[in-house]
Amino acid sequence: MDYIGEHIWAGELGRFAVSLALTSAMLAVFSFWQAEKNPAWKKLGKVAFATHALSVFTVVGTLFFMMANHYFEYDYVWKHTSLDLPPRYLFSAFWEGQEGSFLLWMFWHAVLGLVLLFTAKKWTGPVLGTIAAVQAFLSSMVLGVYIFGYKIGFSPFILIREMPENIGLPWTEISDYLTRFPSFMDGTGLNPLLQNYWMTIHPPTLFLGFASTIVPFAFAIGALLRKDYKGWIKPALPWAFFSVSILGTGILMGGAWAYEALSFGGFWAWDPVENSSLVPWLTMVACAHLILVQKNRGGVLPSALFLSIISFLLVLYSTFLTRSGVLGDSSVHAFVDLGLSGQLLIYLLFFVLVSFGLLAFHYRKLPKPKKEETMDSREFWLFIGSMVFLLSSLQITISTSMPVFNKLFGPEGLIHLYENNKTISNPIDHYNSFQVPFAIVLTVLVSIGQYLTYRKTNMPTFYKKLAASAGISVILTIAFAWYSGMTNPIYILLLFTSTFAIVANIDYWIRVGRGKITLAGSSIAHIGFGLVILGALISNANKNIISQNKTFIHKEFPENENLLIELNDTLQMGEYWVTYVGERAGTGSESHYNYFDLEFYRENKDSMLVQEFVLSPSIQKNERMGNVPEPSTEHFLTKDIYTHVTYADVRTPEEKADEWQDEFEFTLSEGESKMVYENITVRLDSIISDTKKNPDGSFAFIAIGARISILGLADSVVQATPIYVVQNNQASSIDAELLDFGFKIQLAGIDGQVNKPLLKVWRQKPDEKPFILIQAIVFPMINLLWVGCILMAIGTLIAVWQRIKPTKK
Amino acid sequence: MKKTHIVLILIVAVLIGAIMVMFKDAGTYAGFNLADSNKGQEFTVIGYLDKEAKMDFDARKTIFTFTATDKTGVSRKVIYNQPKPQDFERSEEITMKGFATDTAFIASEILMKCPSKYNEQNEMAGNNNSYIDDKGQ
Repeated sequence: MDYIGEHIWAGELGRFAVSLALTSAMLAVFSFWQAEKNPAWKKLGKVAFATHALSVFTVVGTLFFMMANHYFEYDYVWKHTSLDLPPRYLFSAFWEGQEGSFLLWMFWHAVLGLVLLFTAKKWTGPVLGTIAAVQAFLSSMVLGVYIFGYKIGFSPFILIREMPENIGLPWTEISDYLTRFPSFMDGTGLNPLLQNYWMTIHPPTLFLGFASTIVPFAFAIGALLRKDYKGWIKPALPWAFFSVSILGTGILMGGAWAYEALSFGGFWAWDPVENSSLVPWLTMVACAHLILVQKNRGGVLPSALFLSIISFLLVLYSTFLTRSGVLGDSSVHAFVDLGLSGQLLIYLLFFVLVSFGLLAFHYRKLPKPKKEETMDSREFWLFIGSMVFLLSSLQITISTSMPVFNKLFGPEGLIHLYENNKTISNPIDHYNSFQVPFAIVLTVLVSIGQYLTYRKTNMPTFYKKLAASAGISVILTIAFAWYSGMTNPIYILLLFTSTFAIVANIDYWIRVGRGKITLAGSSIAHIGFGLVILGALISNANKNIISQNKTFIHKEFPENENLLIELNDTLQMGEYWVTYVGERAGTGSESHYNYFDLEFYRENKDSMLVQEFVLSPSIQKNERMGNVPEPSTEHFLTKDIYTHVTYADVRTPEEKADEWQDEFEFTLSEGESKMVYENITVRLDSIISDTKKNPDGSFAFIAIGARISILGLADSVVQATPIYVVQNNQASSIDAELLDFGFKIQLAGIDGQVNKPLLKVWRQKPDEKPFILIQAIVFPMINLLWVGCILMAIGTLIAVWQRIKPTKK
Repeated sequence: MKKTHIVLILIVAVLIGAIMVMFKDAGTYAGFNLADSNKGQEFTVIGYLDKEAKMDFDARKTIFTFTATDKTGVSRKVIYNQPKPQDFERSEEITMKGFATDTAFIASEILMKCPSKYNEQNEMAGNNNSYIDDKGQ
């Protein structure tokens, strides 16, 4: 049967390109393997890899073309786009699903591979061979074929009618199903939460970061395979720092998205998915610094190899955690399980066994340092710092893996150790209890690191050079702690160490480095690191929830952090007076938003309230995800004021009016009155009726009307006639609604026992002043965090550039 | 002993400590019965909203009361002194963190799982199906 309106060629092209990507990657692996013995194979390997890269680009291009042209017969296109999707969100839609994000990852691997094809020189073989091996596995994740009954991968090029759940359904037998059923004429569209500009740039940056960890990994594997244990260090160094910079930027963008568009009240919540992105960055920082030590002084080869390997493996492990459905209940934004967890687990185990196996096998042959580093050398403390970064990442990995522990040791686990599945009760406190001390150690090391010299530091000069920075930092810390009322000693310690890190590195760059560009990269990046920690500390430790509700309920109940504010009412929040001026619907492409306008006033020196700014937090009426609040934030140089609506009645006025309550049922005789509500009395004046008989004498139609007078306050009288109808043995009532009174009366029938009409009344909810519940938080100094992130990324890129720029002879 | 070895031992020690602290900080996924027999102790209960029972949100006091049924079928009144989550009625599954008292389960944190888009698609397939059946095709 020929189906009408399908674009079969697109899916076939896509699937062909995926198969070509897989086979060319395997050919590349084989050729580069052979090339180690016979260099003649190298050319074939390069051609195969170039073919592979081209195939990946074709896959991505085809899927993108299908999405841009609304080929809704394809499941992926139907699920992730719709006709009204603004083109700027097409990218977001592309990587909304698992398949698309795998493709994004492969795309970056292919791009990085092409760069290495021209720059890796003698390392081309093993490095590209390793990348090709990873790419072969990834290609199979989007293959979507069954082999011996096992499903290998999940293709984005499947038609909806080919989806397993639809096969055999009657509509798949209809040739014009696309034009016949409205549900195929438009897709279900992109999740509105992801229709945000951050979602256009955050995933590609983050995935470039993830993808870039493969380069040090590939160099390390290549070094082990070739037994050339030292030669990889120099070419891998800039790549390691490149990875640090890009991955860091990607994580920052994720935090910014969460802060700007989500409403959990902050930029970081130790969510498993966030953790999975942070962990490889931490190990990559350690890895990059160890490669640096190895290049300059040597002696840390095993650790450098280990960290290069584990950074990439942790990216794979993150992928497994976030995509296998293991996280399930513990994370809100893990991907939906596509049934690929087994395949992912096998790949993960394969790479873990092969790479650690290689490292263990070669461990004894690795060149050993003749002499241990002394404790007054820069290399020793860089090594210690790297180990603290490693510890930090392992702690996060272990705690994020709680669901994995449950699977292994829980009630249904392989080894049954405990009865009930466990979950970390208060993740923020749990992670902070480890990460704050780690941050203290790291910021101290960042402060002193640059002042230490390789081999042996002249200690008296070292102390002398650092004294000024330390003194300034102590003064700044005391001043700020006193000014802001910070009392927690651990936080004050971190306040000092992070300030010290900033001041010492500024001082180093100006006084010791004399502002030279060669030292700019590391100094700027380290200043940035100090600023990130300082910003995170101050904005969290001193954050001020100004919407505290002081109502006392019970000593077991914490004070509420939500404030109820009625329309046109003004309440004090912190130093502000806030007026809720009204609700309005968004216009144009934002018509699914309800905005709540809040005017913020502050007292000036003449005790007059002056309007400072207006915030409009909103609720997105989201058919698919439910209604979602979105925050609104006013940014100042030294603080942000963040608000979001925690409760609002978002029903339309019609829906609100349709709410009848206080139902009341009674009987009345003619002429009798009854007070039904405190302000309404009803009197039955008379009963009227109308009937129509069938030819056989039975009743075809009976209608009874009750003439009622409704006596409101101030002697107003209104007439109403509710009607009761029996037609063809079906009874129904026509109610009399008196909206001016907020009152409704029904003739529900005749009470057979007393032979009186049975009446029912309702009234509307008394008009309540509209109100919303809001939460408002002041985040002080959060700009330090963003500035720090940017400086860290820029500084690291300068350092990369210093290492790869063409040197003048 | 070499310094690297000391560092290694320290790393292992900290990691063992991390695992122990993790289990100490971990609450248990439980049913209402277990929570009831350990009143005041924190548990995480996964359950469903009882849509028949009364649900009430007192905005002025910010107290949300509803009835939940856990996975073993035990129902409890739950009190949550936070605003009623948006679209609570639509939730498929609710994760409640809190403790039991004599009268109710006091939740300090609630996470909801809402119907995913994949279910929506199944529904669609079903709808199409019934549409065709109605037409007798």
